[in-house]
Amino acid sequence: MSTSHSKAAKKFLENRNYADWHDQTFWGVRVKRDSMAYQLPEWERLRQKASEIKRHTLTNIDTYLERFSDAAEKNGVVVHWAKDAQEFNEIVYGILKDHGVKKMVKSKSMLTEECEMNPYLEERGIDVVETDLGERILQLGGQRPSHIVMPATHLSHHDVGDLFEEKLHTEKGNHDPTYLTYEARLSLRDEFLTAQAGMTGGNFGVAETGDIVVCTNEGNADMSTSVPKLQISVIGLEKIIPDYEALSVFVRLLARSATGQPSTVYTSHFRKKRPGGEELHYVIVDNGRSQWLGDPQHWETLKCIRCGSCMNTCPVYRWSGGYSYSYFIPGPLGINLGMLRDPKKYSGNVSACSLCLSCQCTCPVKINLGDQIYMWRQTLDGIGCANKEKKMACKAMDKIFTSVPLYKFMTSKAYLLNIVPGFIKDSALNPWAYGHKMMTFPKKTFHEQISEYLKDEPK
Amino acid sequence: MSTRKEIIDRCRASIKTRHARPSLEDLHPETYPDTLVKFIAMAESVGCNVARVGSEDEIDDILRSVYPDAKVVASNLPSVKSATVNPDTVEDAQALNHTDVGVVRAFLGVAENGSVWIPQTMRERDVCFISENLVAVMPESAVVNNMHEAYGKITEEEYGYDSFSTSGYGVFVAGPSKTADIAQVLVKGAQAARGMTLILVK
Amino acid sequence: MKVGLFIPCYVDVVFPQVGMACYRLLRHLGVDVVYPQGQTCCGQPMANAGFQTEALPLAEKNDDMFAGFDYVVAPSVSCTAFIRVNYPGLLKEAGHECRIASHTMDIVEFLHDVVKPKGPLGKFPYKVSLHNSCHGVRELGLSSPSEIVEPKFNKIKDLLSLVEGIEVVEPERADECCGFGGMFSIEEVAVSKQMGLNKFERHKATGARFITGADCSCLMHMAGVAAKEKATDGIEFRHVVEILASGL
Repeated sequence: MSTSHSKAAKKFLENRNYADWHDQTFWGVRVKRDSMAYQLPEWERLRQKASEIKRHTLTNIDTYLERFSDAAEKNGVVVHWAKDAQEFNEIVYGILKDHGVKKMVKSKSMLTEECEMNPYLEERGIDVVETDLGERILQLGGQRPSHIVMPATHLSHHDVGDLFEEKLHTEKGNHDPTYLTYEARLSLRDEFLTAQAGMTGGNFGVAETGDIVVCTNEGNADMSTSVPKLQISVIGLEKIIPDYEALSVFVRLLARSATGQPSTVYTSHFRKKRPGGEELHYVIVDNGRSQWLGDPQHWETLKCIRCGSCMNTCPVYRWSGGYSYSYFIPGPLGINLGMLRDPKKYSGNVSACSLCLSCQCTCPVKINLGDQIYMWRQTLDGIGCANKEKKMACKAMDKIFTSVPLYKFMTSKAYLLNIVPGFIKDSALNPWAYGHKMMTFPKKTFHEQISEYLKDEPK
Repeated sequence: MSTRKEIIDRCRASIKTRHARPSLEDLHPETYPDTLVKFIAMAESVGCNVARVGSEDEIDDILRSVYPDAKVVASNLPSVKSATVNPDTVEDAQALNHTDVGVVRAFLGVAENGSVWIPQTMRERDVCFISENLVAVMPESAVVNNMHEAYGKITEEEYGYDSFSTSGYGVFVAGPSKTADIAQVLVKGAQAARGMTLILVK
Repeated sequence: MKVGLFIPCYVDVVFPQVGMACYRLLRHLGVDVVYPQGQTCCGQPMANAGFQTEALPLAEKNDDMFAGFDYVVAPSVSCTAFIRVNYPGLLKEAGHECRIASHTMDIVEFLHDVVKPKGPLGKFPYKVSLHNSCHGVRELGLSSPSEIVEPKFNKIKDLLSLVEGIEVVEPERADECCGFGGMFSIEEVAVSKQMGLNKFERHKATGARFITGADCSCLMHMAGVAAKEKATDGIEFRHVVEILASGL
C-alpha cells in the first residue's frame, strides 16, 4: 500500500542517525516557537484575529487588490499582473531585458520557486544570484529547498563545508558555521555590488499604502534593493492585507511562529523606487489562487503566511524530510497546496499525515491543515487515485462491520490467528508486521465475555 | 480585457461569503510597566549594545570607545563629527562598501522585540546594511510597547513619516544581521551589519 | 441517567479486558450502564483512509442503536472523537440528523466531567508514564495541547490522582503523536514505526513500569513496535480504566 511519500520516507529513515538529528533539529524550532508564544498572554486571541483578518481580506480580495495596485501606482510603482507561472516569468524577463540586466541578486521567494523562474531566466542568459544564505547553499549545490523558511537546514555543516571548499575555495576542512557564513558573506558582497537588479518576494502587501513588506534575518532583501538601481518585488495575490493595523497582527505572529524570534531582524517596507534608483516594479501573481479561493473546503489554505511552523511540529515531516514530498512545498501545508495545484500529480503526499492535528494548533492563522488532509483523502477514490489494496481492505471491513453475524463469526475466530506461524503472520503480505510484532488475541472477545458476565452478575 | 481586470474578476467570481473585519479592541496586548527597561533588555537580547547619553554631542565619544579601530565612519548626522563619508553625497551606493560604522537616526523603539524604526533619511540607504556595524541614534522617550502601537506611530510626523513617505522606504531593525542557515547554528553578520549599537538620547 | 457502553471493534477483539474494566468501574460508581449487543465499529478506519462513504452505514446503525441513551461512553478517544466530530457532517450528507454526537464521551471525560468520583479508586503502587493521545488532546480536550497558550489541565492525571500508590509521570514531548494514525500505520509503515519507537523510548526514559493512556490503539501500536524491536524491557501497557478499576 505504499505511496510516493511513504517510499521516499522509508529511504530517508534508512540512516537512523541522520533522521534523529533531523527530528531533533526541527523539534528544537518548535520548542523555540512555544517559548515565544507562551510569553504573550494574548497569543490565542492574536491567532484568532489573524485568522479573521485573513478571512475578511481573502473574501474581499477583489477590493483590496484594486486598492493595493492603485496605491502602488500612485507611488510611482510599475504594477504588473501575471495569470500564471509562464506569464510571470515572461514579465520578469521583459523588465530585465528592457534594462539590459545581466545579473540579478534576489532574496528568498517561494513564489519564484513555484514559477521556476531561475532556470527560465538563466536559459535566457541572466545570472540569477540567490542571496539568502540557505538558498545560496542550495543554488551552489544544485538542490531545491527542503523547508520554506529554513531551506538548507537538512544539510550538516560538513555538507556545506565540502560544498564551499569546491565552489568558494574555502579552507580545507574548516567547517565551522561562523567561518563558512563569513566566506559566503564576502562572496555575496561582490554579487550585490555588481548586480544591475535586485528582486524580493513579499510577506505582505499593504492595500492602503501600497507597501510591500519583506521580513528577513540576514538583511539580504535590503542589500539586494539598496545597491542595484532596479528593484522588482513579486507577490502572490493572497498576500495582500488591508492596512498597518492588520500588518501589526501578522508581524507579531510571523517570526515567533517561524523561528521562535520576537521579530525578524529586518522588517522592510518598500513603496517607491529608491532615490537615485531606476524603477520599482511589482508583479502580482495569480497562478491558480483565484480559482482556489472558490473551493468551499480548501480556500482557507490561502490564509497561510508561510511561517513553516506546521512543518516543524509535524512528526511526519521531521521523520521523513522535505524531499520525501513530491510537491515543492513539504509538510502539512505542502500536502494541501499540492492537492490544490494538481490532485492527480500530488496525491502521493496525502498519506503523510497521522492526523495528529498538531499543525492546526500551531498555525498562526488557524488553518485547519489536518482536517483538510482528511477531506482530500475522501476525494482520492473519485479521481482514480485511491490505493487499490486500501480500497479493497475498506470494502472488506465494511462487509464485516455491517453484518453482525459475520462480525461475530470473524471475531470469535480471531484468536486462531495466534497459532498462525510467525513466518506467515510477519511476512511482507502483512504491512502491520513491518513495524509490529503481531498482537496476541484473547480467546474470548468482549461481547462474549460480557454476555457470560451478565448471566452471573449480582443484581 | 486587461490582466488586472481578468484576475480581479476571477477572484470576485470565486468569493462566496464576504467575512467582516474583526476589531482589535478586545485583543488586549501585553504592555510593560517600564517600556524603556523592557526595550533595552530586548534590544540587548537580540544582540545590540545599548548606550545612554545626555545629548547627541556624546555620540562621537561612544563611537570612539565602542569602535576604536573604525577607519571609515559614514553618517549624515551633523552631530557625528567623526564621520568620514556622507551617504547623501557619495557617488553611488557601492561607494559605501568597506564602511566600518554607519550612523543613522531611528525614530521609534519597540519594547516587545527590541527593534527600532529607521525610515530612509539619507540618499543611499545601504549605509544601514553594507556597514560592518550599524549605530542607530534615538530619543529614549520614543519607545512603545508593541507593534500595534508602533504601526500607529510611524505615520506620524514626529516619528519620521515625512522621510518615510518621501523616500518610500522604512525598516524595523532588531539587532545585527543573523542567520542559522548552516546547521541551525546562530551566526551574527550574515549579509548586512555584523554588529549594532543603539544610542539612546535623553 | 442511562449510559450506553460502546466497545469499538479492536477493543472488543484485542482488549476485551478494557471493556470489562469499563463496565465494572461504571457499575461500581453506580452508573446505570448497558452494553447493547450487535455493535461492531465506528467507521473511523475507513474514513481516515479516505473512504468516508463506507463508514456511513455504520454511523447510521450506531446513531440508531444509541439514540435512546443519555450518554454514549467508549474507552477509545479516537473512536469517540470520530463520532463526536465527524458523524454529524457525515450523516447530514445522507439526510440523517445525528442524535448521539453531542453526548458521546470518552470514558475518561465522562468520569471526570459527569460522574466526578471523589475517590479513592483502585490501588496501583507503580510508576506510570501517561500517554496523551492526539485525538484526546486536540479533539476531545482531555488535556491542554502543548501548542496552545492556555491554563494547563489534564483530566487523565486528575483521575489517576485518585488511585492509591500511583506515581504518574509524562514523557518529554508529552503530547507528540505516537504514529499510529489508523490506516497511516499500514500506509506509512516506516514513519509510523519510527514515531512509535521514538515515543516508546521517551516513555521508557521516565523509568516507568507501565504506560497508560485513554486510547488502546496508541498503546497497541507502541506495544507492537517495542516488541518487534525487542525493546520492551518488561514495560507493560494498561488502559486508564484498567488502573482505575484495579482491585475492584
